[in-house]
Amino acid sequence: MTNTSPLNFVHKVGKFGDTNKKIQNNILKVSEINGLLIFQILQYKNSSFDVSKIRLDGLSFPSSLKSTSNSNTRILWIGPNNWLVFSSVLDLLEKEKNQFNEADFAITDISHSRTIIELEGNLVNEVLKKGCPLDISSLKDGDCANSVYKGINITIDFISESPKKVRILGLRSYGESLHHSVTDACLEFGYDAI
Amino acid sequence: MSQSYRINNEGLLNRNKEISFKFNGTKYTGYEGDTLASALLANGIHLVGRSFKYHRPRGFFGAGVEEPNAKLQILLNGHSEPNVNATEFELVEGIEATSQNCWPSVKFDLGAINNYLSKFFPAGFYYKTFKWPKSFWYKVYEPFIRKIAGFGIASLEKDKERYEHKYEYCDLLVTGSGPAGLSSAYAAAKNGAKVILVEDKPRFGGSLLTDDVTIDNLSGKAWTDKIITQLKEMPNVIVRNRSQVFGYYDHNMTVMIERTGDHLKDKPKYVPRQRLWYIRAKEVILSTGSIERPIVFGNNDTPGVFLSAAAKEYIKVYGVLVGKKPLIFTNNDSGYETALEFKKHGIDPIILDTREEHTSELIDSAKNQNIKIKFSYAVIAANGYKKVNSAQIGRLNKDKTSFVNSETIECDCICVSGFWTPTVHLASQSGNKLKFDDKIDAFVPDKSKQNETSIGASKGTFTLQDTLDEGFKKGFDLSKKITSNNNSISTPSSNEIKKSLHDKFWCSPLPKNKNFKRFVDFQNDVSVSDIEVALREGYRSIEHVKRYTTLGMATDQGRTSNLNGLQLVANVEKKIVPQVGHTTFRPPFTPITIGTIVGREVDMEYMPTRKTPMHSWHEKNNAVFVDAGAWKRPRYYKQGNENLFEASKREAKNVREHVGICDVTTLGKIDIKGPDAAEFLNRVYTNGWSKLSIGKARYGVMLREDGIVMDDGTTTRISENHYHMTTTTAQAANVLSHLEYYLQIVWPELKVNVLSTTEQWAGAALAGPKSRDLLAKLFPNLDVSNEALPFMGYTEGNLFGIKAKIFRISFSGELAYEINVESNYGLFMWEKIMEIGKEFNIQPYGTEALSFLRIEMGHVAGPELDGRTIPYDVSLEGLVSNKKDFVGKRSLQKEAFNKLDRQKLVGLVPTDKKTNIPEGSHLVMDKNAKLPNPKLGHVSSSCWSVENNNPFSLAIVKDGKNMIGKKLFAVSPLKDFAVEVEVISSHYVDQEGKRVRS
Amino acid sequence: MLYIKCPFCGYRSQKEFAYGGDGTIKRPELNQEISDEKWNEFVYLRKSPNGKHIELWHHVAGCRQWFKVQRDTVTHEIFQTTKMNEEIK
Repeated sequence: MTNTSPLNFVHKVGKFGDTNKKIQNNILKVSEINGLLIFQILQYKNSSFDVSKIRLDGLSFPSSLKSTSNSNTRILWIGPNNWLVFSSVLDLLEKEKNQFNEADFAITDISHSRTIIELEGNLVNEVLKKGCPLDISSLKDGDCANSVYKGINITIDFISESPKKVRILGLRSYGESLHHSVTDACLEFGYDAI
Repeated sequence: MSQSYRINNEGLLNRNKEISFKFNGTKYTGYEGDTLASALLANGIHLVGRSFKYHRPRGFFGAGVEEPNAKLQILLNGHSEPNVNATEFELVEGIEATSQNCWPSVKFDLGAINNYLSKFFPAGFYYKTFKWPKSFWYKVYEPFIRKIAGFGIASLEKDKERYEHKYEYCDLLVTGSGPAGLSSAYAAAKNGAKVILVEDKPRFGGSLLTDDVTIDNLSGKAWTDKIITQLKEMPNVIVRNRSQVFGYYDHNMTVMIERTGDHLKDKPKYVPRQRLWYIRAKEVILSTGSIERPIVFGNNDTPGVFLSAAAKEYIKVYGVLVGKKPLIFTNNDSGYETALEFKKHGIDPIILDTREEHTSELIDSAKNQNIKIKFSYAVIAANGYKKVNSAQIGRLNKDKTSFVNSETIECDCICVSGFWTPTVHLASQSGNKLKFDDKIDAFVPDKSKQNETSIGASKGTFTLQDTLDEGFKKGFDLSKKITSNNNSISTPSSNEIKKSLHDKFWCSPLPKNKNFKRFVDFQNDVSVSDIEVALREGYRSIEHVKRYTTLGMATDQGRTSNLNGLQLVANVEKKIVPQVGHTTFRPPFTPITIGTIVGREVDMEYMPTRKTPMHSWHEKNNAVFVDAGAWKRPRYYKQGNENLFEASKREAKNVREHVGICDVTTLGKIDIKGPDAAEFLNRVYTNGWSKLSIGKARYGVMLREDGIVMDDGTTTRISENHYHMTTTTAQAANVLSHLEYYLQIVWPELKVNVLSTTEQWAGAALAGPKSRDLLAKLFPNLDVSNEALPFMGYTEGNLFGIKAKIFRISFSGELAYEINVESNYGLFMWEKIMEIGKEFNIQPYGTEALSFLRIEMGHVAGPELDGRTIPYDVSLEGLVSNKKDFVGKRSLQKEAFNKLDRQKLVGLVPTDKKTNIPEGSHLVMDKNAKLPNPKLGHVSSSCWSVENNNPFSLAIVKDGKNMIGKKLFAVSPLKDFAVEVEVISSHYVDQEGKRVRS
Repeated sequence: MLYIKCPFCGYRSQKEFAYGGDGTIKRPELNQEISDEKWNEFVYLRKSPNGKHIELWHHVAGCRQWFKVQRDTVTHEIFQTTKMNEEIK
C-alpha cells in the first residue's frame, strides 16, 4: 500500500461503547477523512490586494472564525489574513494559483499534515465539551475555531446541524492520541466507527 | 436491635428498598436514601471512631458537610477509600465500613492511652519534642509516628474507575437549591437566561426539607418539587443534584464535581464515577446556606452530642431519632424547632436556654407543648465517655462567667445550637474580602471582586420571606442584565414562625477545680486550653494560632470550629473578632478525589504522543523507543538479546561501513516564503544568507538576544523566495514562536510567512559510504553524482511515483542524504528503501547510534547547546558574520565572552582506552585535590567510537584549545568515580570533513 | 484559569495561550550603536510590578498571533487586550 492514512492502524470499523438501548440518532458516527487537498493561503500584512474579489471553487473567503463551503471544498479562517482550504478537487491549487501573486500571498500545500476525524450525531457537542474549553453550545455550522482537545491543538470545523456533524483536525503525528481521546469521550454514548 | 431508632411515617426514604451493609464486621440494614450515618443511627450505633491525637471515642455530630468526626474507611466492589464522610455517603448495598485510627477496635482502642497522657500532648507538642537525640528521628521517632499517625489507609491498588471532565458555559450559575437558590434559578430561567442549578445533596430543597414552613400554601418539600420539575423541563436550564461547586477561580470560572456513579451499585460500564465540570458563568449566585455553630462545653466531643439542626434533619429527612431522652442546649430559638420535632414523636426533650426568661412565637409554641425549658442555664459537661448517659448542668450567674449551682440530669443525647454561620467559602475564594456582621456574630460577604452575589442564609438572611424576595429579585435582575428580557414573576408568599434574638454565648465556663476538656476543633483534637497555650506562648496572629494548634486545618476545614476559635482568641486578646481576622478559605470546599482532577489523563492519554508515519514499521522491527518531547523515536533496534550498547555499536558500525537509515521526521521543518525571506534569515541567523543559491542548503545557527546559542539547523533555498528551514526536534516549537515574535512584533514591515511543515513531510536519512549507490538505485532517472548533487545541495526526484525532496546534508559526518516524501507515503518510502537497500547491507539505526556517530565527528547538538554556550565555545565562530547585525550579536561583545581563556569544545579519550566517561562529569586537574577543587569544565556528550574502538567524549573546558595534549581527571563525586583522560581535538574522526564531500 | 480576550478570536481559555513576557520592551534597532548599559537593560532588566502590568501573550493554539494584555499581577484582573500595533490606554 502506497498511501497510509494517519489513523490507518487505530481506526477499526465496528460498534463501541455503550450502544445498548440507545436512541439511534444519539449513537455517534466516527470516521476518518483522508485524501483531501489541504493548503494554507496567507496574505501578507501590508498587501493591499482585495481578497473579496477572489473565488476559489466558487467560494469567497470567509470572515473571522467562519467558514465558506460547497460540496467539494471548504475554506476555514484560522487567523488574520490566514485561511486553510480543504478540497476533494485535487488539482484545485494548480488550477487557481494564478489568482494569487507571490508579492501578496504565500501558498503552501500541507495536505499530509493533518489528521481529520469526522463526528456525526445528536451528542456531538457533549463529546466536544469533554475536552475542549470553547463555549461549544454557542457554535454551529459555518463556524470554525482553533483550540485544544485534552491537550492536543485542534481545529473544529462545524459542518452541519441536521445531522449534527463536525470535523476535528489535529496534526498528523498526534493522530492516534487524538483518535483515542475523542473515541474515549464517545464511549459513554456509544459510537459506530465507519 | 434492628433499627430501633427508626420512626415510622417520617422521612423521605424509600422504605420499599432495604439495603444491607456491614460496619466493623457486623451486618446492619437501612433504606434507600439513607446516608451511612443515618442508617447507623437508626440501628443505635453512635461510636464510630477515635479522635486524631487523644484517641477519644467519637460519634456523629452533624448530618452533612459540617461533620468533623465520622470519617470511615469504605470498601465497595473491591475499591477501598479512606476518610469517607459518613454523613454524606449514600448507602449502597454491600458496602463494608470500618472505623479508622483505632486498634484493635473502636470499642477498645489501645491508642486511648494518649488521652490519659494528654497533659503531655498539648498543642505545639510536635514542635518541642522528638528533637533529641538527633539520630533518633530517622530510626525511632519518625517510623513510630508514621505508624500511629493519620486516619484512613490509602489503597495501593490502581484506581480502575472512569473520571471525566466537561467544559460548560452559562449566564447564571446557582450554587445550592435551598429557598434562595430555587427562587433565583427559577426567576432567571423564566426570564430566558441560561441557568445551571447545582445541589450538593441528593435531594433538592436545602432547609425547606427540614423547616416547618409553607410557601404558596405548599409545604417546603412540595414547593421544592414543583419548582424543580419545572426547571428540569426548561431547555435553557441544567439541573444537577449530587454535585458540588467546590472552587471559585479567576474570571468567574468555578469548578464543580458531579458524583454520577457513587450511589449506584451497578453502574453502566462507561458512565464515569465522577465528572468534573469547569463552568464559566457570566454571573454566579452563591446560595450556599449556613451551618449551625456549636457551643463549647466540657466533654462536648462525647458520642451523643449533636448539632441540634442535625438532630432535626435526622428526624425529618431520614426518620431517625438520635436519642430518646434528648437535652437541647441553645443560645437561640433554633434549638426549639428540634425540641418540637422530638415532641411530635412522643418524646419529651428538656431545653436549656442560656438566655434569660423571655418569649417569642416559637418559644411560646414550645411552651404550649409542655416542653420543659430552663432559662439562664447551660451544660457544664457531658458524662459518659463512650456515649452520653447524663449531663452536668447549671444556672449561669448574671454575667455568665460562672455557674451558681449544678445538678446532673439523665439524657442520652445533647443537641446543641449556637446560632448560625453563613457558608462564605466560595465568596471568599472569589476574592470577596468579607466583613464581620455583629448582628449575627459571623462573617458575611462584603464587596465582590468578580461577578458573584450571595443571597439568603449565606449572606446572613435567616428569614424565609426575605430570602424568597432576595432570590426572585436577584434572579430577575441578573437575567435581565444578561438577556435584556423583562419577564418577571411574582414572589410567592410564605409562612414561617417568628424567632427572637440569639445570645452571644459560645463557651461554657469551667467550674473551679474542674478540668473538663472543652473541644473547639474535634477533628484535630484542639481544645480551649490549647488555644490558651498558643496565646500564652506568644502566637498572637490568627494565622499563627491556626498553625500552632492546627485549629481549622482538618478535612472539615473548621466548619464548626473557626468562629468559636476566633471568639476565644478575641476574648483573651481583649479584641473583637473582626480585629482578629480570619484565615483564608481555599478550594476544595470538601475533599475531592485525585481521580476526578486527573480525569482521563491516564494510560494512553496520560500524555499525548506524537508518532512518525514509519512508527508501525519501527514497532514491528523491535525498536526500543525513547521520548523526545511528545515524540516517540527509536533509540535502537534490538536484534536477539542485544542490550542498548551492543545494538548501538552494531548500528553505528554499519553506517560507517555500509549504509544506515534513520527516521528524522521529528526534526522541525519550517516553510518560509516571501520577498523579504532572505533578509529575515540574515537577521535571525548568525551567518549570511543573501548569497545562497537556489538548490543549495546551508548550516545555520540562531542565538538568543543574550548571545547564547538557541538552535541550529539547515536551511535550503527551494526557489527564489522560498526556503525550507530545519530545526532540532526539541526546539521546533520554540523556534517557530521565536520567528513569529520577530515578524509580528519587532519587524512587522517584513513580508515573510513562516509555517510549520514538520507534519507534511516524512524524513529518512541515508548515511554511509554506500549511500550514494543506494540513492542512485532509488532514483534511477536522477543524476546523483558528486558533481550533480554536491555536499549541501538540494534536488527533487520521483521515488517510484511519489515526489521526493533530496537534501545532501549530514549529521553523522558520513556521506549522507535526507529524503523527504509527503507523510502518507512515508511508510511506503521506508519500506522501499529497506527493500532496495538490502544489497548494500542497509540497517536501520536509532538515536543512540546517531549520537555515537555525530559525537566522534565533533558535531555539536543539544548537550553542547545547553543554554550556557555561545558560538565561540562550540567551534561555531566561523559562522558568526561580522558584516551584518543579527539577533544576539551585540551580546557577543560581552567581556566575559571574549576572555582569552574562555571555555572551548574539546575531545576526551580515557587514558586506559577502556573506561566510559559519564556525561556530566566534572573535569579537574587533580582528582585528590582538597575541596574546593577548581572545576575546569564538564563532559557534555559520551559515546563509543566505533572507528577507534574506545570511549570518546566531547567536553567544554576552560581555555580548551590550550589544554589539548594535557591529562585531566573526569570526576563524578556523587558516584565516587574518577577516570584519567587526555584532551584531544573534538574532531576525532575525519578531521578534514572529507567523507561528507566525497 | 484565566479567560483572555484575543483581539482576533475573542475570549478564550488560558489553555490556548503561552505567556510571552514583558510587553513594554522595545527591541533596539538593528545596526545602531548602543551602549553596554542600554543593551544590558534590554536583555536582562525587567520591572516586576505589584499591580497593573502590560505583558504579551501568544495565542499558540489559536490564531498564532502575539498581542498585548494589561493584567493586575495580584488579582489577575485583565483590563484590556490589544493588537501589537495598538496602544494600551
